[in-house]
Amino acid sequence: MMTSSTAILSNDDLAAELNAWLDAHWDDQRRREKGTDRLDVKSWLGKILDAGYSVPTWSPEWFGRGYDSKQARVIDDILKARKVIGRSQDRYNLGAVTVYRLGSEELKSALLREMLTGAHSCLLYSEPNAGSDLAGVRTRAEWVAGKDGGEYIVTGQKVWTSNAKGATYGMLLARTDWDVPKHSGITFFIFPMQQEGVDIRPINQITGESEFNEIFINEARVPARNIVGELNGGWKVLQTALAYERLIMGEGATERQGKVKSMVPPLVELAQRHGRLQDPVIRQKIAQAIAYRQLNALNMKRAKAEIIANGSSSLMSLGKLAMSRIQHGEARVASEILGAASLFDGPEFQDSADMNFDSAKAYMNSIGGGSDQIQRNIISERILGLPREIEVDRNMPFRDVKSG
Amino acid sequence: MSDISSDDRQAMRDSFARLLAEQAGDKALREAMATPHGFDQGLWQAMAEMGLLGLIVDPDYGGIGGDAQILEELMEEAGAVLLCSPFLSTAVMAASLISASLDEGRKAGLLGSICDGSQIFAVAATGDGGLWSDADIAIEAREMGDGWTLDGTASFVLHAERADQLLVLARAGTALRVFLVDPGADTVDIQKLQTNDPTLRLSRIIFSTAQAQLLTGVDESAIETALDLARVALAGEQAGGVKAIFDLTVDYLKTRYQFGRQIGSYQSLKHIAADMLIDVESAASAARHAAKMVATGSPGAKEFVSLAAFACADAYRDVSAQAIQLHGGIAYTWEHPAHLYWRRARTGLWLFGSSDQHRETYLTCLETA
Repeated sequence: MMTSSTAILSNDDLAAELNAWLDAHWDDQRRREKGTDRLDVKSWLGKILDAGYSVPTWSPEWFGRGYDSKQARVIDDILKARKVIGRSQDRYNLGAVTVYRLGSEELKSALLREMLTGAHSCLLYSEPNAGSDLAGVRTRAEWVAGKDGGEYIVTGQKVWTSNAKGATYGMLLARTDWDVPKHSGITFFIFPMQQEGVDIRPINQITGESEFNEIFINEARVPARNIVGELNGGWKVLQTALAYERLIMGEGATERQGKVKSMVPPLVELAQRHGRLQDPVIRQKIAQAIAYRQLNALNMKRAKAEIIANGSSSLMSLGKLAMSRIQHGEARVASEILGAASLFDGPEFQDSADMNFDSAKAYMNSIGGGSDQIQRNIISERILGLPREIEVDRNMPFRDVKSG
Repeated sequence: MSDISSDDRQAMRDSFARLLAEQAGDKALREAMATPHGFDQGLWQAMAEMGLLGLIVDPDYGGIGGDAQILEELMEEAGAVLLCSPFLSTAVMAASLISASLDEGRKAGLLGSICDGSQIFAVAATGDGGLWSDADIAIEAREMGDGWTLDGTASFVLHAERADQLLVLARAGTALRVFLVDPGADTVDIQKLQTNDPTLRLSRIIFSTAQAQLLTGVDESAIETALDLARVALAGEQAGGVKAIFDLTVDYLKTRYQFGRQIGSYQSLKHIAADMLIDVESAASAARHAAKMVATGSPGAKEFVSLAAFACADAYRDVSAQAIQLHGGIAYTWEHPAHLYWRRARTGLWLFGSSDQHRETYLTCLETA
């Protein structure tokens, strides 16, 4: 599966080895070529995968090198600098990571190479009636007999799926037992998206964008061997998958938020353009808005230092909630700077259009990926150790749970 | 940056925390705030013996040469227990101003008396407006023979009624300078002001052609440095105080039962706690970062001192106010400590400039960055 030695290399040797390999195999120019000279992405991804550079922290048995995160970083830095496709899939390819960490050996044999060489996957978690309460999923998967353990017939509706068009697989949460409490009857599938009975429809957002889809699933099929973890053990699998997702998003967030910009802040420039920068009330509001962003950056900087020192930091969990206050607040101050010109929109009124867009877009953070209210539950329960609110449906058979 | 190793810093912080745990608990606090001068002289001497009063004083003058970072860390400990002491006026503001003086003979004596705890200093740095800005200084200094005289009024002076020495900011022509004044002189009328916070001691001082000695070499920039160091120290105190009252509140949410369940299980309360935590942690981040910028002499220090000044003051105000509300009736009693944190928070909103002033300074720094 891989040709390179797994003997421990020094970072310098590792860098030299990788650079030499790239010199021999990678040609950045070919990405821009047309016709037959153009890089074949799929075969390139297979090549870098087999060389052990795509998922270096995984075991040698599964395309990896058994490296620690520091060595992986050496590889990632070089691949990033040379703009190489297929780097750090052990961090960023959520579908493949989930199968590698939680799938059976059979599932890994069946899917990993495909998932690591361009077959991308999307998330089929949320439903119209299962948003914050994700364990309330009502998409049903019913078993029918057949060879290789049979298959499941899936019917239901999923929402807020990004990158659904063109996805090969969906990471699907479906109900397989209706007679047990809600957390105990859910199964996690790697669901083939390219089939009859899967209808993808874009969602039109309040920002005018369309980043997400609704997925209507009507008697579509998924092989029983595509179950990740145990039958009816999907909730546990989901928790692990969500933890990886948060880790990936969190790493991005610290990297983005840790950087303190030294340039003049956009709100100052906006006020300048609209002749409001001398208004003392506006000045107070601008300063406070900028301060919230700066304070969050300082918190994330501390979080990063704590992670380096202790391996974890509870401060990380505050970033998303803090970001809601920042984004909604900045949009509100921008509107106060613009005054009645906030009513305008369109390319002739670019500042108004931007402000109106930001005002709507701020909900993406305060609702998506766990609303502010869910974040407050998480912070107060997991960081502060406050007790959970009583859940009336926790121990009830799911078919008796009220929904609407 | 200070030469003190991080191990030594931690050891100092730990021993200070131990001293406070032994001698500055709730009972000691209530005794101290009931005394005329509002602090425990014994604890003050213990702090002197630990070297804490010479924290920022150069070792050549008997201090330990600490920087803004260690100062901020110790102030977090002090703030957590609402320590009553003239530390801020004596060991921070006065020590910083005197350290900038070029008058070597007088400097050694004054700094020595700070380090060994033998003299309390008060610093008159604002007028009746309480703005702690140039414009608010209402004292004129005139050169008379080989000395100076001061005329005018200062207010909001910490610990003046107990001070052995007064340092007074006054106008000498167009310049702002610092003068040493004997608080016992007939020409110095110190009027004690009644305060809402029982742990606070403030006075108004009227100077009627009072004899004064110029602290040579202490110019506007040294004054600003001392005030900024005081702001960092206060921010640290607030970061420590806000954490302490927050922890006390979260504890209560876990132990208080109503309607058969812990009140902390209600989302209406736990969501407030989650929001408070952001402010509590932001205060710590802001105070520590400002201290680091000051300690390293960063050109961006002013920006971050201003940020810490309003972020910590506002966080303390909001969290301590919510703490009373979340506790309910128990915190409406004088015996419960919540109101003392709330009062201290309300004190900090106005010392060394208001949050609105600091926000304005912060924005000005950003505009010119």
